[in-house]
Order: sequence, then structure tokens, then C-alpha cells
Amino acid sequence: MEYQHDVEINGEDKYQNICKHNGLCKKEKDSKDDTDSNKLSHIEKAYTTILSELGEDVDREGLRRTPLRAAKAMEFFTKGYKETIQDILNDAIFDEDHDEMVIVKDIDLFSLCEHHLVPFFGKAHIAYLPNKKVVGLSKLARIVEIYSRRLQVQERLTKQIASAISEALEPAGVAVVIEAVHMCMVMRGVQKINASTVTSVMLGTFQDNPITRKEFLDLTIRK
Amino acid sequence: MEHSSDKKDAGTSSVVNGHCDAGMVKRPAGGPSQPPAAESGSQRPVIESWREDRTRSVEDNEMSLPSLAAAYTTILRGLGDDPQRQGLLKTPWRAATAMQFFTKGYQEKIIDVLNDAIFDEDHDEMVIVKDIDMFSMCEHHLVPIFGRVHIGYLPNKRVLGLSKLARIVEIYSRRLQVQERLTKQIAVAITEALQPTGVGVVIEATHMCMVMRGVQKMNSKTITSTMLGVFREDPKTRDEFLMLIRS
Repeated sequence: MEYQHDVEINGEDKYQNICKHNGLCKKEKDSKDDTDSNKLSHIEKAYTTILSELGEDVDREGLRRTPLRAAKAMEFFTKGYKETIQDILNDAIFDEDHDEMVIVKDIDLFSLCEHHLVPFFGKAHIAYLPNKKVVGLSKLARIVEIYSRRLQVQERLTKQIASAISEALEPAGVAVVIEAVHMCMVMRGVQKINASTVTSVMLGTFQDNPITRKEFLDLTIRK
Repeated sequence: MEHSSDKKDAGTSSVVNGHCDAGMVKRPAGGPSQPPAAESGSQRPVIESWREDRTRSVEDNEMSLPSLAAAYTTILRGLGDDPQRQGLLKTPWRAATAMQFFTKGYQEKIIDVLNDAIFDEDHDEMVIVKDIDMFSMCEHHLVPIFGRVHIGYLPNKRVLGLSKLARIVEIYSRRLQVQERLTKQIAVAITEALQPTGVGVVIEATHMCMVMRGVQKMNSKTITSTMLGVFREDPKTRDEFLMLIRS
């Protein structure tokens, strides 16, 4: 699937300069495997520098293996770059004569703010109106995982999820709502503990028809 | 930057965030007045913890910023993203400043925060400050820990300004921490400042390193407590404290 504007947004095009996906293609992934451990050791060294610059003693017991653990943790938090939508969706699209709303809500979501490299987390609610094709339900959660395990901005994350479902299934409509708490706002800066951010993307019927939209919102957000 | 040659106790962790004693590794010359070096090969007694020295200053922060930013740029590149794209252009600097904020506890001393807020009061009933929001960084994964701290103490003729309890929490939590140590450091600092009859500290926190990665258990919480003095010896006092923080 190709959506040109998204390739620019997550920077993959400029850096990888290969595929139109918002992540590495499989063949690119294979050729890069041997340099992955190289990258890990670069990240590890960077973390050692960070620890000593912060005034800590990198040789004390608690911190001895922290650079490696932090590097692996950071790689886990950005593992979405290495995964593609096609890998997870290809065999789970089914022909069903169903055209009523399908909602998967309260999908736990964890991502990293691309501005401060600090986590933000919350819940995603996804709905779509199938047009002869339905998708395995866990695949919606897997799409959320692929896009959230990256350096993200909540607005873009919401849009990428909606676009991916739209392109894979060609449904009559897609709606995605994300409600998240940003640690960069809670732990530092303005330090507002109870603030949460809500973003939404409505495509197709969800955008055109207010009654459909209302039904979705009633079923997910309003308790 | 290399650590200065008078780094003490290579191999034993007698540094402040390893145990409750003072004197972390000192930065090399270039910062303001260096704190006195501890005797090498010895551990300072716990009783000195609240007099511990700052290991970092505002000037140190400014000087470290370029290397921190360079380290973050390396990390961004290593993760496979493009540090030149618009959203990431100033991220190394923002992330470096954020990390310095998350570890600002190294710049502060208990004694500065407490000195003028200890009052003589003829009060010997329990004083509790609960639901103090706490944000820390896991020293093993450099990922946030957040939760609440509940503190109770039985004064012995001396009481502390209430917000100072929260400030003690801030100083110790804004560091690379382990929840067990954080709890103990807070309790010990209050004990040394006030010499109360007893102190109880309970911390209930969520560890992002367990929630976002690894075992990925969303709803798990870690609870640690330190009870000193009469809180430890008298079960009824302890019960009263635990009941009051739960209500």
C-alpha cells in the first residue's frame, strides 16, 4: 500500500530511500540484520555517555548493564519501524456479507513522543463499516501496535491507523479515536497530571453521516 | 567526559544512589566548588545522608547539554529514524533537557530545602501527608516510574512544614532510582531532619518498564514501605497509619 505523504512524515523515505511503506520492506530488513547488533552497540555507547553526563556513576552496581538494557528497551519501543502492515494483514481478510459497524475499543496503546523521547500511553477505539470484507479482530490491535511502537505524534498516529485500515479493507467508513496521557506534559514542563489528549480521525461514512458518527461515539466513549 | 581521578570506591557502590550515604562521583574541574571527597574505601554512615552534597549544578547542566544532545542524535539514528526530519530536528536537545529535568534531584540538597521549615511544636500525634504524586526514572531501563507516596510521622517536639515532605519526595524521586531505595531514602531523610518518634513511608507505583515492555502487565502496581521507630515497633501505630492512608 502506498500513501506518499505518510512516507515523508515518518522520515522513512529520506533515510531508507527504498520502499513506499511506512517502515522497512522485507528485503531491506534482511540486508540490515547484520548491522542491527552494530546499531545496538552504538545506542548502548550513547546511553553510557548520557548516564555519565547526568552526573551518575556508570560503574555502580545498579547501572552497570543499564546502557544495554536501555538500548534494548528503546529498540522494543520503536519496533514498529521494522514491521509492515502487509505482513500482519495478508491472510486475515475475509469475505463476509456484513455491513454493520464493527468496533474494537479500549486497545491499550504505548508510544514514544518524538519530541522528548518520553512515553505517552492510552487507549485506542477503532470502528469500521465493512464493505464485503472484514478483518480478523486482533489485526486491528496489531495495526495499532505497528504504528504506536515508533517515535510518534498523536495526531499522526491516529491518521496512520485510519489510513491503513482504509487501504487494506476499502470499507464504507473508518473511525479511530485515541485518548492518551503524555508523560512529557505530566512529568515535566507544564506538569498537569490529569490532562489527557483526545484525537480522532473519521473517514467515509463516519465523516459524512453524523448519525453514524454519533453511534460510534456513544458505543465507545460515552460511558 | 572522564570521571575525575579521585573517584572513590571503584568496585564498591558506596555512592549516594547505591546506598544512603553521601558523595557520588565528582565531575572534573570546570564546575563550581567541588564537594569534599569521601575517604576512599569507606562507606559513609547512613546518618549523614541528609547532608549529602550536590553532584551536579546548573552550570554542569549547560556544559553537558551538547554531549547529551549528540548522544541522543546517535540513538535516533541507531533506531532507524531520520534525525533530520522536521519532527526530530530539535529532539536531541529537548530529550537532553527533559532527561536533565528528570534527574534534577542530583542538583538539590535536603538541607537547603528543609533548613528553615522545622518548627518546635508540642504535638505528638500522627501527621500524615498522603497521595503525593511521584515521578521517577527506573535506573535499569531509563523508563519512567510514577505513583503516589504516603508519608506519616510522629513528631517529637519538632514538626516540619508540610510541603517539605513533598519536596523531600521530589529530591529523591527525580533521580535514577529503584523503588525500594527511594522509599528508604525518604524515610531516612525525615528521620535525620526531625528525629521524630517514628516515620512511615509507603510508595505505590507503576513501572513503565513492566507495562510497556518485557512482561507487559498493564495493571500491576509495586508497593514498598519503610517503617522506622515506633511505626516499626508498635503494630497499632502502624495499623493506624495504614488505615488512614487507605481511606
